[in-house]
Amino acid sequence: MGKVVGIDLGTTNSLVAYVDGDRPVVIRDEGGDALVPSVVSLGEDATIFVGREAQRRLLTAPSRSVYSVKRFMGRGIDDVRGDAALLPFRVSGEPGGVLRIGVADREFTPPEISAFVLRELKHRAEEHFREQGEFDFEVDRAVVTVPAYFNDAQRTATRDAGRLAGLEVLRIINEPTAASLAYGLDKRNRGTIAVYDLGGGTFDISILKVEDGVFQVLSTNGDTHLGGDDIDRLLVEMVLADLAGPRGAGAAAAGFGAPAIEAIRRAVIQAKWDLSDIEETEIRIEPSPAVPAGYLRRITRADFERIIHPLVDRTLDPCRQALADAGLQPKDIDEAVLVGGSTRIPLVRRMVEELFGRTPHSELNPDEVVALGAAVQADILVSGRREMLLLDVTPLSLGIETMGGVVSKIILRNSTIPASGREMFTTGVDNQTGVDIHVLQGERELAADCRSLAHLHLRGIPPMVAGLPRIEVRFQIDANGILSVAARELRTGIEQTIEVKPSYGLTDQEVERMLIESFEHAEADFEARLVIDARNEAESVVHATEKVLRRLDLDGAGSGVFEPGERERINSALIGLKAVMAGTSRETIHDWTHALNHVTQRLAEVTMNRTVREALAGRNVKDV
Amino acid sequence: MLECRNCGAGAPVDEHFCPQCSRILALGRHGDYFSFFGLPRKLVIDPADLERRFRDLSRKFHPDYFYNASPTERLASLERSSYLNDAYRALKNSVSRVEHLLAIEGLPPAKYEDPSTGSGQVGGKVPPSLLEEVFALNEELDEIRERRESGADPETLRARLEKARAPIDVKRDEHEQQLQALSARWDSQQSAPPAEKRATLDALRERLLERNYINNLLATIEREVASLAGGGQPATGGHG
Repeated sequence: MGKVVGIDLGTTNSLVAYVDGDRPVVIRDEGGDALVPSVVSLGEDATIFVGREAQRRLLTAPSRSVYSVKRFMGRGIDDVRGDAALLPFRVSGEPGGVLRIGVADREFTPPEISAFVLRELKHRAEEHFREQGEFDFEVDRAVVTVPAYFNDAQRTATRDAGRLAGLEVLRIINEPTAASLAYGLDKRNRGTIAVYDLGGGTFDISILKVEDGVFQVLSTNGDTHLGGDDIDRLLVEMVLADLAGPRGAGAAAAGFGAPAIEAIRRAVIQAKWDLSDIEETEIRIEPSPAVPAGYLRRITRADFERIIHPLVDRTLDPCRQALADAGLQPKDIDEAVLVGGSTRIPLVRRMVEELFGRTPHSELNPDEVVALGAAVQADILVSGRREMLLLDVTPLSLGIETMGGVVSKIILRNSTIPASGREMFTTGVDNQTGVDIHVLQGERELAADCRSLAHLHLRGIPPMVAGLPRIEVRFQIDANGILSVAARELRTGIEQTIEVKPSYGLTDQEVERMLIESFEHAEADFEARLVIDARNEAESVVHATEKVLRRLDLDGAGSGVFEPGERERINSALIGLKAVMAGTSRETIHDWTHALNHVTQRLAEVTMNRTVREALAGRNVKDV
Repeated sequence: MLECRNCGAGAPVDEHFCPQCSRILALGRHGDYFSFFGLPRKLVIDPADLERRFRDLSRKFHPDYFYNASPTERLASLERSSYLNDAYRALKNSVSRVEHLLAIEGLPPAKYEDPSTGSGQVGGKVPPSLLEEVFALNEELDEIRERRESGADPETLRARLEKARAPIDVKRDEHEQQLQALSARWDSQQSAPPAEKRATLDALRERLLERNYINNLLATIEREVASLAGGGQPATGGHG
């Protein structure tokens, strides 16, 4: 058996964590960075880039790059038109069907894009385990988190993404609940906790009761379309309006291409981050072909708060609803916990504090806490430890369409999962052998206002007089919050076959086909992976060399250290490697890396000895 | 009796684990939430005790702890957990607890056919004890609606609705107390003759019917209040 990890598959960033001994830890890259940007970019030669590399390409090749794909998971074309307007990639799809994302000349479904991110995380974890000297470093199973307010289609899409990435998804768990598990490790206390989770693209609130190591969710609510992305978008629109002048932002959006939008987005995100620490900053865009005149505007925290106030305000109603559903008042909450990068914004903290009347907790890094919790849950599943147990709820009521398009609820929202419900059906005409059932999720009374999950076709009902068959349909929501259905004709005891046509998801056959295709691409992907690894290695050698040269220059000791011609040889190897690094030939990058290593070997030994000497002489190594 | 699918031993229907091989048992056709929790069929329940039992059983059944078990056991764990969650939800609330008792004692469900019609009138068969209140309320609602449509001051109408609500609230409180008294009577009748027990059950059912009706009246008033405030969009569902 391979390794098991916990994965936070986020809108803007994703992380992977595992339990080391009895502590969960996130896995970082060489630079100590735990975040893998949830960005995927398709190279000109069909190489797939993921993470930082793909993020860099958002500026250079925006039309070949996809970000915030989580917003499209399990959704239909009608849901996303608003989002698609400011994004550089094409989104298409049949109404009621799965979405397609167009990147250059290829099309991907959202689960396929997410699978690239998951594969990157899997790879990162495997590298980590390999470096730890683990013999069996393969990662084959994971707990993956989703927003608590994700519906069945969104959860299923996430599970499909895991399968496509070659991971068995042991469990889908909710992000706020995962966070509470991570917090629960430190404080073995009891009480009622509110977890406020404002991430890149989604907002969740969950109210939990913790006692005897059982984390029982009492209620949950949220908005799967509210997060840091929306804050960025407001700011981007503001800048576009400035740039457009009296013509208005709409005209500006049409006039500015994807590179301009991306440059603006980066600038406003930087300003947003600044304003979490300081009272005033500027949004600065250097002149470039995309934004020829450049842009500069001062912005105060007060300005920023005025702009985003309506968005943050939208989180309060779900909080109140969750409290009401739990039968609680704000004063009943013992602790409030902040999760998600957007909770770094002072206004968000202030509003949460006002609502619950207490200072919210943020001791754990709000970016990392969800992945840590996922790792804990993964460990519970495979290790058999029983100190902790998570009892979550289904966020939305499940129902079926009845006469006149009205929804009859079968499992109510905030029911603890697993949960089940039964409904009896019969036939309308003599010898009818099939029944169609429309399954929906949502709180509204009419089917048209709820989320269509699937159409079920019951087949093989024994021919009988109309109204005589008694078909019991059993709806089961499992611990992942995912629905399965079984049906039986009670008079004959005959189990019915059910054909499920998911409304916005992939059928099992489609997932299978994609899996096969991904195996066919596996060789190309593997090659691409080697190129990226080679590039990363080259980068670190370049970085180290430049650092040493700079130090020597600063010391003024450079001239004494080099042998004749050595400095020149190093320089040309450096220039040569930098020139080939961006290319896609792994061998060339390797050769040049090797060359640079070779010409710097003597220097490395000399400086190493110098360091050791100086350290022995009592000097701080950092001064060298 | 249940049959253990692992070792074939028989087990009493309220057992959760096989007495012989201690594997989790398939659920079978269980129907009594009280006995599932190991509780007598009584209506007065200590919520803290019920919650403790729920947590203990969750720890025993939850699918998290059967990840490495056989498919049969995993299915049994899923079924038992689901059933436990349903049972807890039903017993936690005093009204659904009575409904469950009535169901397992073989009484028909305490529900009116289509109790609230879309017209805003409260329809269905009116319980005799509520005839007077329902008549007065419907008359008042009609008048308020008429005035609202002819543009009367919403605040005045809101005050009238509050006033119309008062006698219904009183009725509900009365019913709450009657339900509690009947629940206590049922609990004291465990070894009473069947006819006496049946009389208590019938009385409980009658109170539930009236209670449902009262809740529908209150929901109708709420909808009126909402249409005063929000300009037409009536509140949906979610009362009680």
